[in-house]
Amino acid sequence: MGLSSENKIEDIAKKIAQSLQGLPIEISTKDEIITVNVKHENLVEVAKKLRGVGFDHVKSVTATDFPEQKELEVIYHVSSFGDLDLAKVIVALKTRLSSDDPRISSLIEIWPSSKYSEREQHEMLGIVFEGHPELERLLLPEDYEGPPPLRKEFKVKTEGIQG
Amino acid sequence: MMNLMDLLKWILDLLFSPWLFVPLIFPGLITVFAILLFIIWFERKLAAKVQLRYGPLYVLKQLGGAIQLVADLIRYLFAEPIVPEQTDKLAFVLGPIFLFAASFIPCVIIPVSSSFYAIRSDIGLLISLGLLTFSPAIILIIGWASNNKFSLIGGLREGYLTMAYEIPLFISALSMAALYGTMDLIEMVETQSEGTWGIILNPLAALTFLILAFMSTSRFPFEIVEAESEIVMGPFTEYSGILYGLTMGASYVKFYVLCLLFSIMFLGGWQPVPSLLSWSPLFSRIILPGVILLLKSLVIMIFGVFLRSVYPRYRIDQALKIGWHMILPLSIGSVFLSLGLILLGVVP
Amino acid sequence: MSEERTIELLIGPQHPSSGHMRLYAEVDGDIVVRLRPNIGYVHRTVEKLAETKKYIQIIPLVERPSLADTANHNLGYVLALEKLLGIEAPPRAQYLRTILAEMNRIHSHFYGLGIHGIMLGSSTIFMWGFADREIMIEMAQRLTGARLTYSYIIPGGVRRDLPQGFEDEMEKALRYIERRLKDYGKLFLRNPVTRARLEGVGVLKKEDAIKLGIVGPNLRASGVPYDVRKVQPYCAYPELEFDVAVREEGDSMARVLVRVEEIRQSMRIIRQVLKQIPDGPILSENYLKMIPPKWKEFVEKKGRIKFPAIMANLRPPKGEAFSRVEAARGELVYYIVSDGSVTPYRLRMVTPSFRNVVLFEHLIQGCRVADIPAIYGSLDYFPPEADR
Repeated sequence: MGLSSENKIEDIAKKIAQSLQGLPIEISTKDEIITVNVKHENLVEVAKKLRGVGFDHVKSVTATDFPEQKELEVIYHVSSFGDLDLAKVIVALKTRLSSDDPRISSLIEIWPSSKYSEREQHEMLGIVFEGHPELERLLLPEDYEGPPPLRKEFKVKTEGIQG
Repeated sequence: MMNLMDLLKWILDLLFSPWLFVPLIFPGLITVFAILLFIIWFERKLAAKVQLRYGPLYVLKQLGGAIQLVADLIRYLFAEPIVPEQTDKLAFVLGPIFLFAASFIPCVIIPVSSSFYAIRSDIGLLISLGLLTFSPAIILIIGWASNNKFSLIGGLREGYLTMAYEIPLFISALSMAALYGTMDLIEMVETQSEGTWGIILNPLAALTFLILAFMSTSRFPFEIVEAESEIVMGPFTEYSGILYGLTMGASYVKFYVLCLLFSIMFLGGWQPVPSLLSWSPLFSRIILPGVILLLKSLVIMIFGVFLRSVYPRYRIDQALKIGWHMILPLSIGSVFLSLGLILLGVVP
Repeated sequence: MSEERTIELLIGPQHPSSGHMRLYAEVDGDIVVRLRPNIGYVHRTVEKLAETKKYIQIIPLVERPSLADTANHNLGYVLALEKLLGIEAPPRAQYLRTILAEMNRIHSHFYGLGIHGIMLGSSTIFMWGFADREIMIEMAQRLTGARLTYSYIIPGGVRRDLPQGFEDEMEKALRYIERRLKDYGKLFLRNPVTRARLEGVGVLKKEDAIKLGIVGPNLRASGVPYDVRKVQPYCAYPELEFDVAVREEGDSMARVLVRVEEIRQSMRIIRQVLKQIPDGPILSENYLKMIPPKWKEFVEKKGRIKFPAIMANLRPPKGEAFSRVEAARGELVYYIVSDGSVTPYRLRMVTPSFRNVVLFEHLIQGCRVADIPAIYGSLDYFPPEADR
């Protein structure tokens, strides 16, 4: 990556920091990824601001289980199609919530593209996205019972042949 | 010895008596089956040629899998025709049989030559076309009786399409009747043998009749009623075994009859009969004209089945639009063309 | 009578053109008033399985969901893994990765074209598409030794070097494909029936495409020139010249034409790669020096990598990595979290088809029943890829 594009990323990071001024967030940049850590109460507000900057779609919604901290981490990877300069960076909007009763407001109003990803994370990690219109089973069979499969408490039965 | 010769002669006479020969041999049942076996094989072979593959090959390899369809027929015969629980069983089982019969019966009106026919009527053209209109109704019944949503949609599609093709089909046929001044199929051929072929006199009627023949027998690009990738064979979704074989065969038989009518109306029927072997009435009256008529129809059929490898299928609304907005005006135009030709005195 | 005007059609999972999924369609006459995709029939739990497998074992795992496009899936994962490991492949390996990725793109687009053909009723295009995809399968076999699931791209490089005479054979193959594309134009793309079925059908507006996060040819057919190969070039793409195929119409025809144009661009890229490919090793120096001297000779002579022992137990440092590549059907995203052990803590894989699922409910509403397969085919949607 050339020097100019690195400058660009810094500019964009500054722009984001400016628009998010006053909100309790942490911003860090690594390569083309700008990570924005927020508390989940502020998620909707920050998302709206990012939408205003020009980040118009969600690439993926990823949730990860951390059983030691009893926490789930939810990351929205967002970027832009409309502005190809912004498209060079990816904003990772990170938040943490308790894994006992994980509730978070859905960002589908701000980014409709998160619809199916949120639905998938709902069934895979048991997160309730409040405000999501059809929070139903997506990939799992209808008769599946047990813990959400991507939680660490769900153990894959292996045949024990790998070293 | 004399007795045997007498018996043989009696059998031959019986066989070549028109009321047996026409429904049974040509253009009737035996030819129908031969044509079915040939045209479906040829269709597959032709499509395979375009699509860079072999097509039917392993049943009689020397002739390129020519009797593949015999094998298929045997398979259909021995496969269990499953009748699902929820169907209207009587209609479901009888439907394909009536469908095949309704497509086949118009054959008996078709004359083999000027002096050899089973039924001769002043309104032969009307009778044959009228008999052909039975099959859409039976397809509708089948679609309803199958108790399947796809079948229902398929039946309804057939219903809509019937409206779009039946009317212009009759109009363009009648424009030829007006041109020849008769609805008798034999007289039509004789009028053409004196003048020129119908296709040259009134190409508009020929074109519309041909397109409508494709439309009414689900040839591409109007393969809308079956539409495998949309409604899974439409009315015939639930059929299996020989019942399915009959439904599939019926549309080919109907196509065959329409092609015979096309040859008679537009391609001079069995004319010109070469004077070859004229000493034998058997040849000059029956076999030669029959073969000529059959070959002419076969060319049209081959053209029809070849379209499969060229076209995708239209949507139902587009096909209806073509029927009502394009073919109907064209067929009415063909009536005026015929009237004009009569007024100009081109035809006697 | 009751006010029930609609019937519910269940299209799939056992339907000739549904693929491994089900579409709930509510039909009023011939108009689809509501359509919901029901996916998950071929869900293989890739993300969960990845948590039990070592890094190198995950390569075949992530390839499997998309049979027509394995190289790009392989590439995306390896790029993310390399970011974690902090290594980079040498230039020759980068070019070899590019060539396989582009071959897969051609392969995948022919596959999609063929499926779309049979959905519209054109059995000829189905047979042609599947026959011509064979060209690229055969060439990939020369290069990698496998027909579909290559596992060719490994951390730090690729498994094999170019075989002898590959350039000439590839030139022959490309000439053949060029000839064939003319036939496709004559028989399918300019066929009046095809145009009647596809033009103006299933129009995706630019704003909607952006809003719904659509990717790949479907996005570019709606006038958004987003292509990861241009926006954030990886492998050898910065040094190669190609155009991004964009169309403004956004209808089904535009999506097909964008794919056909991408086949042309991919051929252009392959030609450049074969001309410009630099000499050098095909595996990163970090790993090359770990190969025992006895095997090293073999590697240099035959151009085939013997895996150094460290590959079996790759331990990336704690951290996370995000990668995106332009797969044949669109942008493919990987996100890996490592806790410093031999297996990833979390692997997130968002495939282009999964991001395009939303189009079913968006595009098909208000269309006719016959348009369902026409639009489905134009999306080049691949259920196993979406379900993972």
